[in-house]
Amino acid sequence: MSIKKRESEQIALLQGTLDLLILRTLLFGPQHGQGIARAIQQQADHELLVDHGSLYPALQRLESRGWIDAEWGTSTNNRKARFYTLTKAGRKQLVQETRQWRRLVAAIGRIIGPEEA
Amino acid sequence: MFWRRRRTDEDFTDEIASHLESEIDRLVEEGVPPDEAAARARRAFGNVARTRERFYEARRFVLFEQFKQDLRYAWRGLWHSRAFVATTVLTLAVGMGLVTVVFAVFNAYVLRPFAVHDPYSLHLAGWRAKEASGASFRWRDYEDFRARTDLFDGVIAETRRTVTMRDRQLSVGFVSGNYFGTLAPRVALGRGLIESDARSNGSEPVIILTDDTWARLFDRDPSIVGREIELGGHHLVVVGVMAPEFSGMDEVPRDAWVPITMHGVLLNGDDPFGPDDRRLQITVRLRYDVTATLAQAAVPLEPFETRVAGRRDPVSVELTPRPTPVRMTRGQLAVLAPVFVAFALVLIAACANASNVMLARASARHREIGIRLSIGASRGRVVRQLLTEGLLIATLAGALALVLASVLRRLGTYFFVVMLPPTIAARVRFVPFDFDHRVFMFTMIVACAVTMLFALLPALQATRMSLTDALRGQLTAAIRSSALRGLLVTSQVTVSLVLLIFAATLVRNGSAIRATNIGMDTNGVVVARGGNGSGLVRKAYEEVSTDSRAAEIAVASRSPLFGTSPPAPIRRPSGLVVASYAFVSPEYFNLLRIPILHGRSFSAQEAATEAPIAIVSAAGARVLWPGEDPIGKTVRVNIEPPGQKIVADTVKSLRVIRETDATATEVTIVGVAQDVINGFVYQGLDPAHLYLPTHPGSVRVTTVLIRGRGSLQVGAVRSLLLRVSPDPMAFDVLAVDEMVALQMFPLRVASWVGSLLSAIALLLSISGLYGVLTYMFGQRIKEIGVRMALGASAGAVRRLVFRQAARLSAAGAVLGLAAAFTVMKLLSSVVHLDNVSVVDPVAFGVSFFLICIAVALASYGPARKAARVDPSTMLRTET
Repeated sequence: MSIKKRESEQIALLQGTLDLLILRTLLFGPQHGQGIARAIQQQADHELLVDHGSLYPALQRLESRGWIDAEWGTSTNNRKARFYTLTKAGRKQLVQETRQWRRLVAAIGRIIGPEEA
Repeated sequence: MFWRRRRTDEDFTDEIASHLESEIDRLVEEGVPPDEAAARARRAFGNVARTRERFYEARRFVLFEQFKQDLRYAWRGLWHSRAFVATTVLTLAVGMGLVTVVFAVFNAYVLRPFAVHDPYSLHLAGWRAKEASGASFRWRDYEDFRARTDLFDGVIAETRRTVTMRDRQLSVGFVSGNYFGTLAPRVALGRGLIESDARSNGSEPVIILTDDTWARLFDRDPSIVGREIELGGHHLVVVGVMAPEFSGMDEVPRDAWVPITMHGVLLNGDDPFGPDDRRLQITVRLRYDVTATLAQAAVPLEPFETRVAGRRDPVSVELTPRPTPVRMTRGQLAVLAPVFVAFALVLIAACANASNVMLARASARHREIGIRLSIGASRGRVVRQLLTEGLLIATLAGALALVLASVLRRLGTYFFVVMLPPTIAARVRFVPFDFDHRVFMFTMIVACAVTMLFALLPALQATRMSLTDALRGQLTAAIRSSALRGLLVTSQVTVSLVLLIFAATLVRNGSAIRATNIGMDTNGVVVARGGNGSGLVRKAYEEVSTDSRAAEIAVASRSPLFGTSPPAPIRRPSGLVVASYAFVSPEYFNLLRIPILHGRSFSAQEAATEAPIAIVSAAGARVLWPGEDPIGKTVRVNIEPPGQKIVADTVKSLRVIRETDATATEVTIVGVAQDVINGFVYQGLDPAHLYLPTHPGSVRVTTVLIRGRGSLQVGAVRSLLLRVSPDPMAFDVLAVDEMVALQMFPLRVASWVGSLLSAIALLLSISGLYGVLTYMFGQRIKEIGVRMALGASAGAVRRLVFRQAARLSAAGAVLGLAAAFTVMKLLSSVVHLDNVSVVDPVAFGVSFFLICIAVALASYGPARKAARVDPSTMLRTET
């Protein structure tokens, strides 16, 4: 039951941060949903809990806002998959959200003070 | 954009499937056994169904799809309770149908533009002088207007006359040759008039018919164009038939149009082109770049006689927009408001009734609603479901309302005409008030508003429940003791009471006016009025005198009861007294059985010379010489110049006239006559009236009054007068009684409509109250069982029911009385009629009594049912 234990130690995503993570992941090129989920988990060193199910409504939302585009294609292991690409508007949004996130982290960091060892 | 992005559910499901497969692939690659891999992939994904649901709900179409579901569900639900649906739909349809009819009439006269090219650029020309204003012009004024092609795209002139065709009286528009070219209405057959039809006097005997005339008189004969028909004794060729939607540019529709150059031919040489002949109605079409203000300042008119014979006054032009038959002013709206309110009240009563039924139904369904709420439906979703049911009912009711309204329209028009005196009915024309898209839209909007009114409140109420109570089958206190139910009952009682008071007031005033003693005996008296040349009236007098059937004959300057008499302002030390006057021959008093109370009548000598003497009405004597003997007193009166066919259409201010007109005559009072009603019956007895002497040869005389023996009725007089003038329109022959009936007519219609409306409202509130009470005591049946088991008698239970009903309606009754009183008080400050009492205590009393009976009737059934409750069975049953 090692997996379960690991899951309980994972951090739940803050509201609204999933969008940022998706956009950031897509900056490296087109990717399908499962790929995005995996990329996020790997890059965060399995610290984050990404519910794959909640990924799709988020993708849908981003798509309807015009920040990402989607197209059916074939994945590396020859499966049909829906590939998402970042649009121009998506890039702008990513820059803006990144900046906001940095400010938020900095502000909260100032309040809770330096890390205690 | 919106459509391109829309994804199907299948597409999304495929994507999820592909995700899971990829995830399994990856896990297998990492060395996890396939079974384990599938389980892990699913676990990582979370709830697949929930994800799909979220996708589904995020789509913009979800509202529409849920609406479709709701509609389907509502339809099934309603199909199962057809009796409920039938009564509710019918109730609402009656209310909506009535409102629709009123709107259709309003639409036809006020909202719907004339069916001509660009109606909004049309303006009606009027004139304004210092003391008077009007809308009739001379031919040369028309030519002045026409010359200004820089201001107007077209100028048309029209004068209307009634002409006989096959014993029917047709309203004929005599129009300038450019009438149809300028207006460009749709032509059904043939053509409209063209310029060459009105080139010279009497040259082109042609006629254009309306669709209505074509249908009524010629049975829609397809070969009518080119046919020669007879009109007023002359032959005219039909050259065209207009489409049904066009019936002239007036609130009174035309039956046919003839070139204005035929006026003289058809009406015995009487043509409208004389230099001072002022009878044309002028309509202009403004150029797109010209404003009405600019145009009215730019057209100079030659001065004409406005009020005083021989004196030409400078006049200025006024242009008023004329896109629809009636231009609604704020004053007219204020007068019509009570009518609209009365009809709206019936609709509100219907809504309150339906609302009560809906509420009862919703609470009977509380278990269903409770289940839906507890398995996860949001309150908004359930409210939407209930509203959809309401909307479905309202839409059905709206459709039925349109059907009802069209039936009502036919019936209404029929009864309207039937109730009119026959001679008048033959001349009445309505603007066709058929249902167009505006009426349709209106009904639909009303249906939506009605849904909000009758379905929203019950829906909000019904969903305000605790889930546990609902599932246990217990009705929450929220519904049972809600303020809402009180509100519904109260509003229903209020509305009914207000309508009842309206109706009672109308009926009582109507009968009071019908019972009014007009002070003279008009039974069997026929008047022949002929304004065109005094010689004709004299000949008529002589012709009738030779007939042995004429028992008594008199002449007068005006006929009694045909509108208000001309005013004669008299200056007194106490202020200005506005008396009315009429010239009458000595026989007048005997013929109409008006007793001379004091002094004497006119002598033949005085009549022949039109001596400066007068007989004053009793009321006039009291006002002018209070406490004195009026005989021998003198008074200076202003008399309108005789022989003026057209004076000012409206007299601006009597005070101004008094100052400017120094041509007053001094007359000596020789007698006092009993008070009579000379003007309008609802205005009551004349406040002050002067009779001045005249004789049949006088230029002032326009009317011959005849009291015949037996058979000398309207028809006989008419044929007698044909010997005087072959033109059947030369004299207007009417029985005075018909005039009285005509005056009563609006009151009769009002009291009919008022009674109908209040009867409907009363029925609605009885059934509404019955519904609420039955439902309420159905809920309290256990409690009643307990009461009876503890020893309450059947009488006590009955009293309980009645008390509750009385408590609920008392608030409504008080509100209704207060509302009606306020409205009536407001109305009485607007309406100044001596013979009409607006705040009528009897009407209030009777209405209150009626509403009490209604409440008692409505609670009788529930009370009986409650008293029959058998405590032993009641306490055993589980609910």
